[in-house]
Amino acid sequence: MACVYIPVQNSDEEVKVMLDELPLDASYILDILKAEQAPLDIWLIIAVATFLREANKFLESQNVCEKEYFIQGKVEQFKQILEEGSSPGINSYIQLLMFLSHDKRRNFMLEVDEYYANVTYERIEILNALGAYYSQLAKVENEQREKEDYFIQAAKYYNKASRIDMHEPSTWIGRGQLLLTKGDFEQAFKAFKIVLDGDCNNVPALLGQACVHFSRGQYVDSLQLCKLEPDNVEALVALGILDLQTNEAAGIRKGMEKMQRAFEIYPLCAVSLNYLANHFLFTGKHFLVEQLTETAPAVTMHGLTRAHSYYNLARLTTASAIIRSMCIITFLISGDYGKAGMYYMASIKESKNPHEFVLPCYGLGQVQLKLGDLQGALTNFEIVLEVQPKDCGTLKALGHIYVQLGQNEKAQELFRKATKIDPQDPQAFLELGEVLMSTDITAALAAFKSAHDLLKKGNEDVPLELLNNIGVLNLEMGNFQLACETFKEALGDGILCEFFHAARESNMNLAQTDAYGESPNQEEQPNTSHTARSNLIDEALYAVDASSTIHQYKDFQWLEEQGVYVELPWDKVTILFNLARVFEQMHNTKSATILYHLILFKYPEYTDANLRLAAIAKARNDVQLSVKLVLQQNPANLYAANGACIVFAEKGQLDIAKDLFTQVIEATSGSSNVQMPDVLINLAHVHFAQGNFALAVKMYQNCLPKFYYNTQSEVLLYLARVHYEAQQWQDCRKTLLRAIHLDPSNYTLRFDVGVAIQKSSALTLQKTTRTVDEVRATVGELRNAIRLFSLLCASSNLHFHGLDEKKIRSHVGYCSHLLEAACADQELAELEEQQNLQRLEVRRRIEFADRFS
Amino acid sequence: MKLAPLNTVQNAHDDSVWTAAWVPATEDSPPLLLTGSLDETVRLWNPEGPEKVQTNTGHCLGVVSVAAHPSGRIAASASIDSFIRVFDVATNNTIATLEAPPSEVWQLQFNPQGTTLAAAGGGSASVKLWDTAEWKLVAALEVPRPEGLKPSEKSGSKKFALSVAWSPDGRQIACGSMDGTISVFDVPRAKFMHHLEGHCMPVRSLVYSSAPLDSRVLFSASDDSHVHVYDAERKTLITSMSGHSSWVLSVDVSPDGAAIATGSSDKTVRLWDLKMRAATQILTSHNDQVWAVAFGPPLRTDVRSCLLASVSDDKSVSFYKYY
Repeated sequence: MACVYIPVQNSDEEVKVMLDELPLDASYILDILKAEQAPLDIWLIIAVATFLREANKFLESQNVCEKEYFIQGKVEQFKQILEEGSSPGINSYIQLLMFLSHDKRRNFMLEVDEYYANVTYERIEILNALGAYYSQLAKVENEQREKEDYFIQAAKYYNKASRIDMHEPSTWIGRGQLLLTKGDFEQAFKAFKIVLDGDCNNVPALLGQACVHFSRGQYVDSLQLCKLEPDNVEALVALGILDLQTNEAAGIRKGMEKMQRAFEIYPLCAVSLNYLANHFLFTGKHFLVEQLTETAPAVTMHGLTRAHSYYNLARLTTASAIIRSMCIITFLISGDYGKAGMYYMASIKESKNPHEFVLPCYGLGQVQLKLGDLQGALTNFEIVLEVQPKDCGTLKALGHIYVQLGQNEKAQELFRKATKIDPQDPQAFLELGEVLMSTDITAALAAFKSAHDLLKKGNEDVPLELLNNIGVLNLEMGNFQLACETFKEALGDGILCEFFHAARESNMNLAQTDAYGESPNQEEQPNTSHTARSNLIDEALYAVDASSTIHQYKDFQWLEEQGVYVELPWDKVTILFNLARVFEQMHNTKSATILYHLILFKYPEYTDANLRLAAIAKARNDVQLSVKLVLQQNPANLYAANGACIVFAEKGQLDIAKDLFTQVIEATSGSSNVQMPDVLINLAHVHFAQGNFALAVKMYQNCLPKFYYNTQSEVLLYLARVHYEAQQWQDCRKTLLRAIHLDPSNYTLRFDVGVAIQKSSALTLQKTTRTVDEVRATVGELRNAIRLFSLLCASSNLHFHGLDEKKIRSHVGYCSHLLEAACADQELAELEEQQNLQRLEVRRRIEFADRFS
Repeated sequence: MKLAPLNTVQNAHDDSVWTAAWVPATEDSPPLLLTGSLDETVRLWNPEGPEKVQTNTGHCLGVVSVAAHPSGRIAASASIDSFIRVFDVATNNTIATLEAPPSEVWQLQFNPQGTTLAAAGGGSASVKLWDTAEWKLVAALEVPRPEGLKPSEKSGSKKFALSVAWSPDGRQIACGSMDGTISVFDVPRAKFMHHLEGHCMPVRSLVYSSAPLDSRVLFSASDDSHVHVYDAERKTLITSMSGHSSWVLSVDVSPDGAAIATGSSDKTVRLWDLKMRAATQILTSHNDQVWAVAFGPPLRTDVRSCLLASVSDDKSVSFYKYY
């Protein structure tokens, strides 16, 4: 257990102070030190110990094992300092500076300065420490004015120290460092030179000068300075960095050797650890990397260095994730990315200021992107962009995120920027094109073309997707010829290309075949095998086209049997399909059909091709074929079939529609999981439209309980309409009443009932022969209609419903008119009936009288 | 608790039976069931037999609701033409014809004290109250419009009033709407109190609990195929019970308050144990939507049991014994 003994003034006794148990209140110790006028080195020791305790407290509060380990290391180091404490050299002074960041200790030193005005050397030491403290503050301060203040403070202390001893080297070094921090390299150089003039082997001064050179970019000069002391770890590291910065293989090797030496001399040098780790990361020795980088954060307090270490660890984990993804060990990947994210975050936390070390932000962004945390990735990439506003990678990454977030405009802007900054980057153009595709076809096409040209210029393979996109855009813009050529380029040479040629020229060849008879143009063409092959293809295609029915793949089979193997790689199917679409647009239906058939021959589950064939068939009015084609597909396409049928029905081709609906129903009837009430309803509609009321009624009535638990008032309305047209007034009325009961707030239904009653009444009154009962019922019904219409009328200004009041009023008027007529009729009819009765009575009486007479 | 099917009257009406209510027993008559139908008639049934006691005509367009006065002497029926006919049960003499145009009339309910008749007023978004002494319209309890909507906006159908229920003390009325909300009114002060929310489709039937201690518990049946149990005063949803596969059209509570019965578009009648909060019995005697279920008064022979009646679109009326 470390302790210091403070000699009691004017006696031999000493006060023992346990450094591990320093009182919480520093003033107590301070009092003792003051009272006993303790030697200055003890002051320093106490100062450091106080700091240590506080550092301990801080780190414990973080409660991270790693940090505790670090403390252990630090304590050892400090014991060393304390041992050297008796001869306070430059080293311990610099070490001390590292920890001077607290007002308390500044006060401490000010007091020391006051008390020990007569002890020259130590005072200089203290003043230098204060100067260094302020230059340190200035270094970390962001506010310009504060920074200036600190510089002035620091300069003041150095001036004070200089006044005590003009030639004290440590003061000059401190001053040099201050100037270095200020960026005044010329003055700094001079300050260091003063020291070196006195002692040409003063290491800190040499380092300082090297630093000046380094900052000025005079790497070689600084290199030479550093060579003076071959075993100085810092110098070695600096040299190593310089070598590495040359970016040449030899330089890097030399740099790594120096790093390794530094590591061997002092295995806990964090910077060298980091660089070694970085190196091994590239060479793939991941195990070493892990060891090295895990040591690094443990041995240094320097934020930036620690940040570098964490960054390396993060990259290591990312790399292992990628390796795992290659080996398809998927369940570990996300864990790895999570860990990498943690390391990146630790790294960011250590470096604090992203301007100093922005790479971990980039890495974290990438990991978050991988893990799907778009918002997080967005923030990090934006930080990177702030630091490096012209970084293409970041711009693209951000653009990519915005695309995923659906903010296409922002993405566009970013990709545009990227393409402007680096007009040689095909990737950026590609991305830009993809973003633009949904909004601006022309611009998208331009972007894609740039990407295409760049790739071509770079002799790189143009991805099929890019060609496909260009082709599709051309197709959409109506540049069919261009589209055609692009797709051709995508398909490349080979059988497919030949196919497509054949498809185009088959007509001509056939004509030739006719002209030349059985053996066409064999003499004219030198390459007979080629001719034979193309003839085979022609023949096959002729068959394909002629058959024009589905499942005629025999012809392709035949072709393959003949030894012409048609290869269609999976990645070219889409292109072939698009090419076929181009043909379709160019009204070259035949070629399109052939290509669709080819696709289906190779990939029978490629439904789009089937649907296109169906569409072609439909355009030719070949209804049967079209429906069959559609129905072959999975049930989802039944909806498409249903839609197609509706089109027919709308066009008035009711018979066709009926057939189709029936087929769709047949197709669905097999599977219980596909229930398509809509199709049944539509079929009923068609029956209704064709006047087949009975069947329509039956179908609607079947649908109601089957699909809707009888709760669909809409279907009831359809049903009522059929009854209305069929003049089944009672059924119509009841159906509508049922609908009202199901959907009480639908006032249209009430209106409909009124209209139905009105219509039936009018018809009854027009009849030439009608019974009294009929007329009586009509009177009652008309009263109902008037009641319904007037209620609707009364509520129309209350906005229960959206029916037109005027219209309803006219109905009320018409019904009242009918009622008048009906009442008159009723009177007449009743009179007639009475007369009839009287007549009968009279006749009966006469008969009665006759019988008795 | 259990339901035992007793008998079913096939073709009890000429068309869909839409509504049913029990007429309490009087000195001269046993309890009778009153049913209303699309065939525009109201019929009276004696569950003993069961036999048809009477057929009342006089309605035009379908009969959507019937209600009996607690005295058992008078009853009311309402039809789509928005007329309410109040008649003498024994003689079928019309006592009054009520209307409140342009408001339609949906569910009818006499208060337990027999002083007031309430009717859900459809598009007028209100409950109309008539006193039973002079048959005068005494109040219209308006369901407040949703906030932020001007009266001119076409929102009337939103709060379309479909169903009503009286609390056992006759001081509260609950009113179910097309939009699924239930409005609770303080009757003596004729004031709207609050909404009960939870349903998202029309509430076609409501009933307050008959258990003496649960008098503020309200059961509601909705097209969203759920039955909700609310504390009507604290406006909290106590529980939501699901099981029906289509609209729940009617709900009634047993006289002992331990069970409720529901009728649904899924053609079933269900008995729910309120302690278990689950359906304990599913009855499938109907083959079309069950529009109404109604618990009758306790049996004379066994006071712990009572009758349940259900009516359906299949034109039939079914009787069950609940014990």
